Amino acid sequence: MEPIIEVRNLVKVFHSRGRKITAVNDVSFDVFEGEIFGMIGPNGAGKSTTFSMLTTLIKPTSGSIKVAGFDVEKQDNKIRPLIGIVPQKLSLYPLLTARENLELMGNLYNVPKKVMEEKIDYYLKLVGLDASADRFTGGFSGGMKQRLSVIAAVLHDPEILFWDEPSTGLDPQTRNVIWKLARKFNDEGKTLIFTTHYMEEADNLCDRVAVMDSGKLVALDDPEILKEKTGSTNLEEVFVHFTGEEVRD
Amino acid sequence: MDSLIVAKKEFKILFRKKALIIPLVLFPIIMIVFFGYGMGGTVKNAPILIVNDDIGRASSSLVQEIGSYTARYDGDPMFSVTYTRDMSQSEAESKINDGMYKGVLLIPPDYSDRVAENKSTTLTLLTDSSDTTTSGIIVNYMRQLLAETGAVSLNVPNMYGNLEYLDFLIPGVIALTVFMGSVATTGSAIAGEKEDGTLVRMLMTPISKRSVILGKTIYQLILQLGRAVILILAAYLLLGFNMNGSWLLISLVLVIFTLGGVGMGIVMSSRVEDMESFFQLNMLVTMPSMFVTGVFFPLSSAPDWMRYIAYCLPLTYAIDAMRIIMIKGQGLNAISTDLIILTLFAIVTFAAGVRLFRREA
Repeated sequence: MEPIIEVRNLVKVFHSRGRKITAVNDVSFDVFEGEIFGMIGPNGAGKSTTFSMLTTLIKPTSGSIKVAGFDVEKQDNKIRPLIGIVPQKLSLYPLLTARENLELMGNLYNVPKKVMEEKIDYYLKLVGLDASADRFTGGFSGGMKQRLSVIAAVLHDPEILFWDEPSTGLDPQTRNVIWKLARKFNDEGKTLIFTTHYMEEADNLCDRVAVMDSGKLVALDDPEILKEKTGSTNLEEVFVHFTGEEVRD
Repeated sequence: MDSLIVAKKEFKILFRKKALIIPLVLFPIIMIVFFGYGMGGTVKNAPILIVNDDIGRASSSLVQEIGSYTARYDGDPMFSVTYTRDMSQSEAESKINDGMYKGVLLIPPDYSDRVAENKSTTLTLLTDSSDTTTSGIIVNYMRQLLAETGAVSLNVPNMYGNLEYLDFLIPGVIALTVFMGSVATTGSAIAGEKEDGTLVRMLMTPISKRSVILGKTIYQLILQLGRAVILILAAYLLLGFNMNGSWLLISLVLVIFTLGGVGMGIVMSSRVEDMESFFQLNMLVTMPSMFVTGVFFPLSSAPDWMRYIAYCLPLTYAIDAMRIIMIKGQGLNAISTDLIILTLFAIVTFAAGVRLFRREA
């Protein structure tokens, strides 16, 4: 398989009130085309920072990232149309309806109007939001917002879908819908990249899992192999094996 | 094209914020109604020109009396007087149009002779009635002074029509409204989008930073010009405001000024993470402009330290330009300095705004 994302010696340093914080410390990995790739790790492990750099939102301090062959620093304009992003903070305009929020996103990605309307109808129905299409999203539940954000991220048919903590705070029913959507997108040939806290989620969905801790990549493999290597019965134990029991800030 | 997507979205959201639209329109109208009645002011160091074509004793004592007149203000004279001779009334009028003098007193060559002979005589007093407070005080003072000299009457030609304090106030309120409106609505919208994450979300899409800023700017230009038009119409219909100048020039001033306000809103919003902080910062930045720049009283009557602050604030120049256009009906030449300063303000804040408006959130 071809790597669709190449991360080499990635470093991100933040300066905050005179303190230097190395959020991501010399991380290298590849993501292959068509796989579901998970990033797990305790709070403050550097997952979100890595995620932000992969999605061209912030620039690396050093090291390089190539997404679909393009450099994130110099060719971010080429990358942005190819990727879809479901951010952790579900960002919808509360005073726009579900449909208007989607239309805004579709327009920002230059999706032709006709194609866009067809897709919006199709996806709203698929995730069971068709009845709420013309309601303001301000009144939506977390699950509804998550489903809507997913649609917003795929209207332009991206090759790669980035998904930051897809099921945090969702009920089991919504989580199931989200997982089903993830598999569907993967079957359609999209590469998926998750960050998650839920070991079950990573175990269930991901072809490979990267374990991060304190800014470093501490393990990367098939969940089954990781379990075997560490003598664990589930990914939870793998996680604790690599990152320890200590509670993080 | 991308920027129009943003502008359209801004309008859609605005029209759904009913609680925002009403104050946006009513705020300036309420302000002119409340402040328009019952506010006045006083005058110091108002520049006055005396054109004395008479060489007799009566005129020199009159001139001396005006020059030494000292009023309430910490011993500062009310007028700062310049003397000249051989100037026609139209020349004098043009000096007032240019803002060089608040008043010009024309003394005819036969003044002293006629006073000596106890014949009736008439002096002409031209005043800058676009500054209603100052011109009112000058006229009253001259009338009092001449009442003592007996048979002298005062002719006060109405240069800009019959003006009241309201006419002085309205151009200032429009400039103030546009300033506060463009800074606050731009900045708070961005701060709000930062708070709920929609700004970052939008910047994840292929749209460029420039298009986002341009979209917000287009929205502001339409919104603020719309508010100015509503305000002028309201002032005309409700208060009988006289609009003497060119709508085109007003638009020009307001467009440049709005650009500056938008730039400033962007700069300010880049320094905060949420709406609440933005509004506190906004108070700090816009409040001084509101009270120092001469919206409600002529700058010439403010103490020196206050005037120096005012000269540092862009609103001062916008107000000045608006008054020159709307009341004096003057053209581009008369407001060129104001326009240059406002353009600089717009360029500086906009450049800073574009730089500070980062993708990294």
